[in-house]
Amino acid sequence: MKKTAIIALGFFLLAFVAGQAPAQAADSIDIGHPACLSGKYAKAGEQAVGGIKACVDWVNNEYGGVSLKGKKVPLKYTYYDCESNKESVTSLIGRLVTVDKVDVVFAPYSSGLTLRGAPVTEARGMLYMDHGGANNKIFQQGFRYVVQTIGPASSYHRGTLDMIHKIDPKAKRVALAYEDSEFAKMVMEGAEEHAKELGFEIVFKRTYPKGVTDMTPLLSAMKASRPDFVLGGGHFEDGQLFNRQMADLDIDTNAFSLIAAATLPAFYDALEYMAEGVMGPSHWEYGVKYSEQAAKSAGTTWIGPSQDEFVALFKKAAGKDMVPDYHAAEAGAQVLAYALAVEKAGSVASDKVRKALGDLQFMSFYGGWDVDDSGLQIGHTMVDVQWQDGERIIVWPESAQTGKVCYPMPTFAEKAKGKVAVP
Amino acid sequence: MKNQVTKYYPMLPVLAAYAALFLIGRNMSGMWQLVAMLLFYCALGQAFNIFLGMTGYVDFGYVAFMGVGTYGMALAISRLAHIEGLGAGIIVIGFVLAVLMSTMLSIAVGAVALRLRGAYFAIATIGVNEGFRFLIEGARIWNGSEGIIFTAQLNQILGREAASALATFWADLFVLIIAVAAALVTLIYMRSKIGYALTALREDEDAAKVMGINVTKFKIIAFITSASFAGLVGASSWALKTPYVFPPEVFEIHYTIEAIIIVLLGGAGTLLGPLVGGLIYGISKYYLSIFIPGFQLLIFAPIIIVIIVVFPEGVVGMLKAKTRNTAAGRFIV
Repeated sequence: MKKTAIIALGFFLLAFVAGQAPAQAADSIDIGHPACLSGKYAKAGEQAVGGIKACVDWVNNEYGGVSLKGKKVPLKYTYYDCESNKESVTSLIGRLVTVDKVDVVFAPYSSGLTLRGAPVTEARGMLYMDHGGANNKIFQQGFRYVVQTIGPASSYHRGTLDMIHKIDPKAKRVALAYEDSEFAKMVMEGAEEHAKELGFEIVFKRTYPKGVTDMTPLLSAMKASRPDFVLGGGHFEDGQLFNRQMADLDIDTNAFSLIAAATLPAFYDALEYMAEGVMGPSHWEYGVKYSEQAAKSAGTTWIGPSQDEFVALFKKAAGKDMVPDYHAAEAGAQVLAYALAVEKAGSVASDKVRKALGDLQFMSFYGGWDVDDSGLQIGHTMVDVQWQDGERIIVWPESAQTGKVCYPMPTFAEKAKGKVAVP
Repeated sequence: MKNQVTKYYPMLPVLAAYAALFLIGRNMSGMWQLVAMLLFYCALGQAFNIFLGMTGYVDFGYVAFMGVGTYGMALAISRLAHIEGLGAGIIVIGFVLAVLMSTMLSIAVGAVALRLRGAYFAIATIGVNEGFRFLIEGARIWNGSEGIIFTAQLNQILGREAASALATFWADLFVLIIAVAAALVTLIYMRSKIGYALTALREDEDAAKVMGINVTKFKIIAFITSASFAGLVGASSWALKTPYVFPPEVFEIHYTIEAIIIVLLGGAGTLLGPLVGGLIYGISKYYLSIFIPGFQLLIFAPIIIVIIVVFPEGVVGMLKAKTRNTAAGRFIV
């Protein structure tokens, strides 16, 4: 028993000492990341790590490294698993900054975990890049070194509203019905504000609780408000219920867009014909048409792999035949933003790179990139996806679209008879 | 008099361990945030041990007390930030509110749930945690599901530098003080009538009742004390260190499970147990996530199983048995 206790004590002492060995100063630019590889955000975290590795690979091997003081310097990516846990995020950031001596910290997934790490990086004047925290309030707290790549929650339905405003100037009546959650309410506030800017009338606005099992009363009230189109949602389960009960109640509108749920293949698998014509906003979808040519036309800089190159690099990094989603794309785009900013600043000092990021505008496979003074992402446009004959078609923005939008969408009665949403 | 002093000797290893942690954190580069995490787990275990360790009751809703404590601090800062001249006093108000709110919740829960025993008590307490979270979200109390983010208010009240120091140092120091205070209260209880009554009811509640012990009273004392410390841990380690509060994150049952593991690893009902359990748990978690990111749980789970199998009474429980009737035994209770 005594021997076991000594062995156990030895293990912990060894771990404590071995874990403190400082990293060797390397001729590289170091990115540190408390990644969510396990816990509730594991799926998004795995995608983010794959996306970052893919773009680090591209910068080092295709781009030749980051140009810094006349030299091409490679990027080095160090990540640990924060288990989607608050306590681990701060302790791992502490290690990345002081033991690994990284030059920049990439935030973990989610607004909560991003906020958790921010005071630690701020206290050390360390650049903290956010690819998974969409809450606008992060950028209203006065942080100096937090810079966002993911589009803010308030912008999710901006593109949908712009599109309808352009293709159907007569449509004025909009209904908003979202889940009662921090994220969905932020999306709703943004949608409401932009709708008013465009001259739409909010004829219905209501939230429903998480885990809702019957939306009939809410949808009946919404039907009575006679909206031209409906924006809403929250998560997959409620989004599916929303659509199904819209069909049950024969609530036909010109357009119907759901956050989070409608872009998933499982949504169509579950709803089949009822999902025809339904739209959903996404940060990125495979198939977007962002290219060097598109960047030239938009008068902005292009950097990074093409979409297909990114997918190939992602699969190589993941070590399996996995398709990258928007979590991977936004994390990868963040690497490109950082590399460009270091070149622009001519330094890896956080304050200089932060300033350079503030002045930076570019386009990559992920789309546009630009931030305001607070670090909030304002250059990236969400893409809108529509289910057309069982396929996800990118219908907005025009620079990224793979097909025209089907507007107005077929009625539920028409869809039940086999009509598909093809423009 | 000498007797009065010697009965507090077991605090010496506790104080020495926390002092060592503090010194390591302050003097070794890159260690403070790791030490902060270890202090959080030690404080969590130390607070939970007052109820779980001393009564043998498993409270699956424990995190609810941390959650309302977090809200106590968040509400004080976000709602009183506009009052001029409060300065750092707002933190004191936050702590008072955190203790009040967690105590009130524990009285409400304890009055009902402590009438139940064993598995029934455990199931009833799970409901408390989820119920309170849904109450906040559904009734839109305290900003509902949107939660409260108050970094900007802290910056406004304390100034940017002081607010930053609060989140990265002072909040952790408060956790250390809470952990020490929880250990001291545990020892005071152990050395008093309360401790004897709790030991009696833990071993056989019916027998204790027959002997004339008011078991409900002593269970409620342990429950409220433990809940108050949980409120303080939430207020400092979550609200001050992370200036936001979202309901799903502060009512996450995962933290209750962690508290149970920590107490059982170290030794339930022992003074040093939560400290040792917190260190084993925190250090294993941290270094496994560094050496094998993404796969640490595959290794971590067997480590916990091995420790529990080798030391069924917890590490400190084993040490206590080994050092009984020796000079060292005076320090291990």
